Amino acid sequence: MKIAVLVKQVPGSDSPLPINSNQSWLDENGISYVMNECDNYALEEALQIKEENDDGEVVVISLGPDRVQKVIREGLAKGADRAIHIQMNSDSIADPLSLATLFADAIRDEKFDLIFSGLQSDDLGMGQTGIIIGEMLGMSTASLAMATELSEGIIKVKRELEAGFFQWVSMSLPASITIQSGLNIPRYPSLKGIMGAKKKEINIVTPGGHDVKQSAKKVYVPQSDKQTVMIEGSVDQIVDKLVEAFRNEIKVI
Amino acid sequence: MTQIEFTVIEKIILSLGILITFASFIYEVWRRLRIVFKGKQSFPLDRFGARLWRVFKEVFLHEKVIRGRFWPGFMHALVFWGFIVFGLVTVDHFALGFGHELMNAQTHKLYSYIVIPFSIFVLIGIGSLTYRRFISRPKTLGKISPTSGFVALFISILMITYLLGETGLSPIVWRVNWWIHSLIILAFLFLIPRSKHLHLVLAPINIFFKPFDLPDHTPVNIDLEGSEDELDAMLADLTEMTKNQALDVFSCVECGRCIDVCPANRGGGLLDPKNHFILDLRQPLLDKGNVDVLSEINVEAGWECTTCQACTEVCPVGNQVEKSDEIRRLEVLVEGKVPQEYQKLFMNLQESGNTEGRTDSPLAERLPTYSPDKEYVLWLGCFARYELDPNFTKSVENFANILDVAGITYGVLENEHCSGDPANRLGDKLTYNMLREHNMEQLAHASKVVTLCPHCALNLGKEYAKYSEVNYDVTHHTQVIGQLIEEGRIEVKKGSNGKVTYHDPCNLSRMLDEVDAPRTAINATTDEFFELEESGRNTLCCGAGGGLWWKKETTGRTHLVRAEQVVNSEADTVVTGCNFCYGMMNQGLKPLTPEGRSEIQVKDVADIVSENLVSNSDTK
Ligand code: HEM
Ligand code: SF4
Ligand code: SF4
Repeated sequence: MKIAVLVKQVPGSDSPLPINSNQSWLDENGISYVMNECDNYALEEALQIKEENDDGEVVVISLGPDRVQKVIREGLAKGADRAIHIQMNSDSIADPLSLATLFADAIRDEKFDLIFSGLQSDDLGMGQTGIIIGEMLGMSTASLAMATELSEGIIKVKRELEAGFFQWVSMSLPASITIQSGLNIPRYPSLKGIMGAKKKEINIVTPGGHDVKQSAKKVYVPQSDKQTVMIEGSVDQIVDKLVEAFRNEIKVI
Repeated sequence: MTQIEFTVIEKIILSLGILITFASFIYEVWRRLRIVFKGKQSFPLDRFGARLWRVFKEVFLHEKVIRGRFWPGFMHALVFWGFIVFGLVTVDHFALGFGHELMNAQTHKLYSYIVIPFSIFVLIGIGSLTYRRFISRPKTLGKISPTSGFVALFISILMITYLLGETGLSPIVWRVNWWIHSLIILAFLFLIPRSKHLHLVLAPINIFFKPFDLPDHTPVNIDLEGSEDELDAMLADLTEMTKNQALDVFSCVECGRCIDVCPANRGGGLLDPKNHFILDLRQPLLDKGNVDVLSEINVEAGWECTTCQACTEVCPVGNQVEKSDEIRRLEVLVEGKVPQEYQKLFMNLQESGNTEGRTDSPLAERLPTYSPDKEYVLWLGCFARYELDPNFTKSVENFANILDVAGITYGVLENEHCSGDPANRLGDKLTYNMLREHNMEQLAHASKVVTLCPHCALNLGKEYAKYSEVNYDVTHHTQVIGQLIEEGRIEVKKGSNGKVTYHDPCNLSRMLDEVDAPRTAINATTDEFFELEESGRNTLCCGAGGGLWWKKETTGRTHLVRAEQVVNSEADTVVTGCNFCYGMMNQGLKPLTPEGRSEIQVKDVADIVSENLVSNSDTK
């Protein structure tokens, strides 16, 4: 069983988000980065499958500038066997299709049985990359996985639907599955894992270039302002004015 | 007193009896001590005089035995003192068996004037203890123990036979009586090492060797550049107990006082320090014949501990009870099993050097920056720096105001990272070492550090010193304030805060041994100070220690027990000296205060002093 886990490095939820001077993207120096939350669950799911079957290989794959090697190391320390780093400058923000192309090109020859990725990234939240890669590589795909069960050539996936409903789907391997947070209990890298990670291989891939179909015009913090209007009068007048405001000004009823 | 010649046969039986029971006694004690001596580190012998003094107070005067539980403790003291008095008689007793009594009839007679009342005291004592063990049966004593019954019976028979021996018995009855007495002593000797009654031998030794430092956790040095063998050896070392810890396990008298004071247990948690941290290790030690048993500690219980050290403080036989550090570091460093909220905490610490994953601190920007011409580094700590309770920033500014008025110069470090307390207490020694090394660099040129956080004070001082030499002095702000008041460098008037009480933070009172300075400061501001029932070194933890501030779900009410006591105390103002206690009180008091009662004010020592400061400029 060969499992790829796609991990993304994203700004931590309490990190400040300073914008760079030409307003093209964030100023990365002021940001503290972490592994995308659901990618961490995807990694754990892959490691558990490997441990249960007592054989196989888990490969961590990340795309981005050199700083992403931090999350790659974290994945290796937790127990992944090796890693692929697709190098790309962070100022070329790309759309899911071009990112998926880069991933697909880099891993096509690896012939993975499974690709796990987080359901979506905590920064851009496109939620498509894992599925597009699966389609490009001719794999079965499923999103929003809450549980997985593996048996001879088949993977059963419990998918989260709306309103507390679930759907079980059976798919043939190979498959690319995007994982929802909370389906397992992620581990913390042990000391032995951290030491061992240093000896593991990180294969660095530098793609020739990619087709950018989408780019940000201007990045800025939304203006927020607060307006307080005092409504005075008798209760009936206040109610009338409120309803009027709800209907015509704020347009919520 | 009757005078009797024993027959040769009697002498042989007596000799054999003594020989066998003594041999077995020594063997059993030796078996345990051999395991103890396999422990890591050596027994501390520093401050020899202080150790002897401690033995005198805690063993001979029974200070802790009595303070912890007055009546049972006093009854026990009667038994204990009785035994000391009896020691001499006993030697004489056996000497008599061989026809060489040590005391002549005259001395014996005189001594019996002391011994007879004591034998009655012992009877009263043991009778009350037995009543407690078998009839009133408080929960913390645990299951009924048959050995307690035997021991009580033995001691009573010894006393009764002694008293009979002192009356004018006929020679034959006296002889029978003498034999009963002797056999019971031998049976007692047989039972002691096999039960909790070994405490009567080990408690004095254990109290003598007990480390002075709290908490007595060993440093964990991690060399990420080292070889795999070195790493394996280091990890194996983490499962091994120290000599002190192993001796504790055999000294425990199973009294359960540690359970009574445990905030996690009182809050309805699972943690039971007597069993989880002490008795659960007794059988594994004996079975393995070695000390690598720390992984036997219940993991869930280990995560519940607030590391408040109340258990260690109360233990009458000198045990360092708490072992959450021992099991947590195994879970983190070896198993990689860490609750999710703590993984996030550790990641924040690694990424941003603080618990919250933040980079900016408005408070730090408002305060002056440290430069070497200033007297103090004002160490903020993450709680104040990143406003874990936004109200606390005011307390920091109040302390800064006090320093300003006293004309003391200070500044904050621009690159202060978390002191590492949460990582240290939660077992992530790798992250702890990273933070420690960073901070040691930042403090390289500092000579005096003052902080409002006792957790930081403990780590920057005592804990860092376990790893490398620390060249600066760390003081807690209450100590600085207390001193300024005593030296008359600031003037404080009595304010109006109603009835004022003080909640001793565990880290300040027990670990930094400071209970006076905050009281000096508070008493300067009020005439209506009163003590909570559990105060000073016997304080009750607010529930936030040991990294529990960051714990999302708590099974019990550990975080409310102390706040509830404050509400029930009728205080109008509760003062504390720790940012975490301050935050816990602020969260806990409001929902617990009954309707109609006015809100209880929560203040730091710095607040109450600053508010009542007479800032007349002519004092400086
Ligand atoms: C010759 C010396 C001693 C004798 C004969 C003795 C005897 C006893 C006995 C019979 C008990 C009752 C145990 C039971 O039934 O479970 C007991 C309990 C206890 N002993 Fe001792 N003991 C001696 C020395 C000490 C010393 C030196 C200490 C500590 C400094 C100590 C501390 C305790 C404590 C704390 C308890 C439990 C009391 C409670 O229930 O809270 N003992 N001891
Ligand atoms: S340190 Fe405190 S919380 Fe931990 S076991 Fe001891 S008394 Fe209980
Ligand atoms: S550890 Fe100490 S306090 Fe706790 S039961 Fe044993 S003797 Fe009593």
